[in-house]
Amino acid sequence: MKSFVRDTVAITGKELKQLRRDPVSLVLTIIFPILLIGIFIVIVSAFRATTHNVPVVVADLDGTPASSALLSQLTQSRFIHVTQLVQTEDQAYQEVANGQVIGAIVIPQGFGAALASGNAFVIVSTDNSKLTSSAFVSVAVNQGAQDLVNEARLGEGGVNFALKIAPIEVITRPLSGRPPTGDTILPGFLGMIAILGGFDDIVNAISRERERGTFPRLTLSPVSLFAVYSGKMFATVVLTILRTALVLVIFSLYGLVIRGSLILIFLTTILIAVFTLSLGLSMSARIRGSATLTVLEIAMTFPLFTLAGTFNSPLLLASGGRAIADSLPWTYGNDALRRLIYLGAGLNAVAGDLLILFVSSLILMPIAILLSKRTM
Amino acid sequence: MSVVAFLNDSIAVAENEYRQFRRNRSAILISLVVLPLFFTVSLGAGQGGAGTTFSPTANIPMGFVDNDNSLASLRLWQTLASSPDFHNLIQSYDEQAAIAELGTKRIYAVIVVPKGFQNDLESGNQAKLILYTDDSEPGVSDQIQSTLTSYVQSYDPNVEVQPHLSQLQRQSVAGVGILTKGAVFAGFNIGLTTVLAIVQIFAGFYEIAGGISREREEGTFARLLVSPISIGSIVLGKTIFDVLLTVIRTFTVLGIAFYGYGARPNTNLLTLLALSLIIALVTMGIGFVAASLKLGQRAVVIVEFFLILFLFAFSGLIIDINLLVGISQVVGNLLPFTYAFDALKRTILLGRPLLSLTFDLEYLIGSILVSYTVALVLLHIFRERLIT
Repeated sequence: MKSFVRDTVAITGKELKQLRRDPVSLVLTIIFPILLIGIFIVIVSAFRATTHNVPVVVADLDGTPASSALLSQLTQSRFIHVTQLVQTEDQAYQEVANGQVIGAIVIPQGFGAALASGNAFVIVSTDNSKLTSSAFVSVAVNQGAQDLVNEARLGEGGVNFALKIAPIEVITRPLSGRPPTGDTILPGFLGMIAILGGFDDIVNAISRERERGTFPRLTLSPVSLFAVYSGKMFATVVLTILRTALVLVIFSLYGLVIRGSLILIFLTTILIAVFTLSLGLSMSARIRGSATLTVLEIAMTFPLFTLAGTFNSPLLLASGGRAIADSLPWTYGNDALRRLIYLGAGLNAVAGDLLILFVSSLILMPIAILLSKRTM
Repeated sequence: MSVVAFLNDSIAVAENEYRQFRRNRSAILISLVVLPLFFTVSLGAGQGGAGTTFSPTANIPMGFVDNDNSLASLRLWQTLASSPDFHNLIQSYDEQAAIAELGTKRIYAVIVVPKGFQNDLESGNQAKLILYTDDSEPGVSDQIQSTLTSYVQSYDPNVEVQPHLSQLQRQSVAGVGILTKGAVFAGFNIGLTTVLAIVQIFAGFYEIAGGISREREEGTFARLLVSPISIGSIVLGKTIFDVLLTVIRTFTVLGIAFYGYGARPNTNLLTLLALSLIIALVTMGIGFVAASLKLGQRAVVIVEFFLILFLFAFSGLIIDINLLVGISQVVGNLLPFTYAFDALKRTILLGRPLLSLTFDLEYLIGSILVSYTVALVLLHIFRERLIT
């Protein structure tokens, strides 16, 4: 046992030394997290921009004070930019069809008269191939209509149409008490960084050693194969701790308040990385080339952004996707990270998730070692 | 050198590529099976088939606490519970106990009807519903809120069974209906525009840059460079072979999309093939540039990973390019792939004829010419370096 621990520590030290001597791999270990979070910041900055200026045209076919009031609300919207006022409905739709604008808003004839009876409507035509922009057009029109109704109720802005308000208002209270931002996907990013790190480590640890011919030498040395794999696994644990620490620092600098226990967060990322390492080890038994293995692992990573709940909760997937998500141990890792970081949950809340990750690694690791032995 | 000799050499290089590819089982699997299958099936699993619709909130477990115990609140419960969007509504009598369940994964939201709900409605005041949500699940909170709002927007407590709401009524805002026009696309079809391009970019870059890097590491690329075959022939030969692979990959993706998930793009097969080839050629051009820089195989894969991440952020895949701010919009507008994704959306979703997308096509073809020219120049300049 003593010699096993000594050998494991020696292999861990060797792995870390090799990484230190390989500046490209060392830089990558740091760049992966920064790049992923950089992308998040680009996307969130776009969503959080004070104005969006999505180009739209408006056709006011009514020409009454009511339609003018709505038009005024639309021109003041921070989401859209009314580029042109057109005369006809067809003209408005044509502008969308030609790709000149993202949306066309048509205020039909009789809008003002219908408003008092609660039967008024506006027509919104959007280029739905531009998903986010068309959503902003809808938001702008909804808000414009809401503001018009509010103004009318209060008799502001010279309009008073004796309107009825919506019968029920939904007031949302989020469990975390945080304002609604895109930050909720950040814990999932940490999970993805642990996965990518784990995959990268397996390529460094096994495939490249095989290519250099150092792996057979290692297995021929008086060190047990179990100690070799344990040593490589501990090197991954050390690197995962470093990556997690780096990401948590970036999160803090970004302004995300981390609520849960740091020890549990580190434990979760370590378990994610160890499971990934076990899977990578099984794959490396069949796929010998480091580049081929990396391509395959990266190809696996992109669908995981959706299926393992990084960008969106797996609850919102179709039944097939949800079944896949439920069968992926990474989903539970990401889920645990969200609960820990975002909600400040304790061990009780994430114990099940951590157990799934641990048991999955426990099952996969011996299989991986067995496969590696057979193909050695 | 005559054109005939140049073409003969190119075909010889393409044949050599084919022989090498045939001998490499993992390359065949990754390029022609794993990449198209993996991306398309993942898309189908996540979004459902193109012809199917599903309610994202239908199966999410939610609590419903009625503190009013009135006819109005009972009718609201009946309306929600019988709707196709709230199949998993669990009635609870203790508000605090229900809220305590949030964050435990047993329920993800609690709808609370406060006391005085019916009184407010009767007296013409706006009644309130409190929605507690587990906002640690990305997107769930917003989705539940918007679905619930659409139901209560036109709620009439005097009606026992709420009428089935038309789209106009569901989208009505306080008495102003919002009638939406414009085609609504299935999530799978939207995703197909991304998958078709990403598969070609992923495979094309790896096959060209990674292939040359592998040949260089094995020493065969040096032999190819010192043979009497021109660099132009080598580049053309490799391109010809990869074009063939692109065609197979395109049919694989479309085959799975058509027959597996019922996708019906709004354009013809020829347009899809032409766009796939254009995207592949842009990628190959960039791949040749990367290869001329003497990148190792692993570096090639890592550059590829960064390239695709970059595209996700800047090419309009997650957020439309016109919504990006500052320098990111400039970067996005410079990337040729932005125009490729745009062309795919306009053809597959909107049914625009390919030739009407003149700017997209001009930019893409220009990018192919520029990248190939740069690659040829760099390969000439670094010829010695690539041999040693």
